[in-house]
Amino acid sequence: MIKCVIWDIDNTLLTGVYLESGEHLPGADPDLLGVLRELAGRGILHALASRNPPAAADYVQQLTGIDFAAVECGWGSKADAISRIAADLGLALDAVAFVDDDMLERAEVAAAVPAVLVLTPEDAAEAPDWPQFSPPVITAEARRRGQMYAERRRRQAAAAAFGGSRDDFLRQAGTRVTIAPASDTDLRRLHELSVRTHQLNSAGGPLSETELVRVLESSEYRVATVTLADDFGDDGLVGAAIMTVNGSRRAAVPQVMMSCRALGRGVLDALLAWLCRSAAASGAAELQVPCLVTDRNVPMRLALAAAGLRAEPGCVAADGRAIFARPLTGELPPLADWVTIA
Amino acid sequence: MSGDQAAAVADELRAILAQVTGRDELLGITADTALFGAGVALDSLAGTLLLRQVQRRYGVDVAAEDLNLDALATLGTLADFITSVGGAPPDDPLENPIKGAPPDDPPENPFKGAPPDDPPENPIKAS
Repeated sequence: MIKCVIWDIDNTLLTGVYLESGEHLPGADPDLLGVLRELAGRGILHALASRNPPAAADYVQQLTGIDFAAVECGWGSKADAISRIAADLGLALDAVAFVDDDMLERAEVAAAVPAVLVLTPEDAAEAPDWPQFSPPVITAEARRRGQMYAERRRRQAAAAAFGGSRDDFLRQAGTRVTIAPASDTDLRRLHELSVRTHQLNSAGGPLSETELVRVLESSEYRVATVTLADDFGDDGLVGAAIMTVNGSRRAAVPQVMMSCRALGRGVLDALLAWLCRSAAASGAAELQVPCLVTDRNVPMRLALAAAGLRAEPGCVAADGRAIFARPLTGELPPLADWVTIA
Repeated sequence: MSGDQAAAVADELRAILAQVTGRDELLGITADTALFGAGVALDSLAGTLLLRQVQRRYGVDVAAEDLNLDALATLGTLADFITSVGGAPPDDPLENPIKGAPPDDPPENPFKGAPPDDPPENPIKAS
């Protein structure tokens, strides 16, 4: 399935060459403009790779009204630009398509990064009919993903220019985290999170919608969702925790999952701090988070360690999990003042 | 002298921390400064970037060797951990560890390796 289309600008998205047009800049190709909008509506990201100055990308963004998730302008190789864009967006190369009118550019990319789907503009005009451009499930979050990456570009630029600590930046950016009980309308997004999150996922392994319905309806479990917004944009539902409810002194959390969009924004810390407080308030003496120990979810283990959870060394079970736990006595991890409990 | 080596590693770690957090004041922290919580307030993102720089520079995969990441208690414990498993500063000076990194290696996806073979079933399924 293609998750991102990387477009050339000259004679591809534009009907001419940006730098050779003087005062009369070329317009957008009407067929490809339709393709851009159609694919964006399906939650597929768009990016630009061009041998033009950055102003050309700004012009294309204005002209098309598309929020490009990543932009690479410069004289380097397009294969390198494509690899950087895929890495920046956390995508595998076989989830990326590249559209260029120039045969030599296409040949170079096809040779250097063979996993990328390389298309002519004519191919791209038909692409919306192809199965690899037709995701089976399109959530509101997925549809907005391109816009969110554009917001992220602006947020990262502001954070880089900001001098103070992370928390100072989060406060200045108007960060708002809300933790609330899950409802039936969250089902698709919860399923999507269970499939798409790896770095910030404690349990590993997806949960089907059927399994999630069972969890949501069961009195054995309680599911909390986390939504995130700031002055740069609204990221919607970015994470969730599934808690076991059995009145045990050991409060277990079989799954914690969080979109990597929330990485570095204090959201997982907030969720773990709340889990400690919520479990302590219900009378538990210990919080337990079983966590798969892999090299992919090290960010999750870092957050668990920062929240004071530790596993018994040498106690990684045969299924690759270790139980990370902490006592709920003494000082609990702090809950930032921008976190709302609904 | 391993003590000298740990001190040299600690100096480089200050520079790496300042880079990954964008906070130059971390160049002046003492060896007993806590990395989590108050102190440096290392989070998942900065921590992942730090561990990746450590692996690149010293060849030490802290996350693979230390289940609980207790090595990250303080600047000093991390420097000791690196030297105790045989990591030493290479001869070339550390310069701009982040900006010098190849751009195809972004913070968003630090552990891009192949997906785990057959991830175990979600335990919630089994119950």
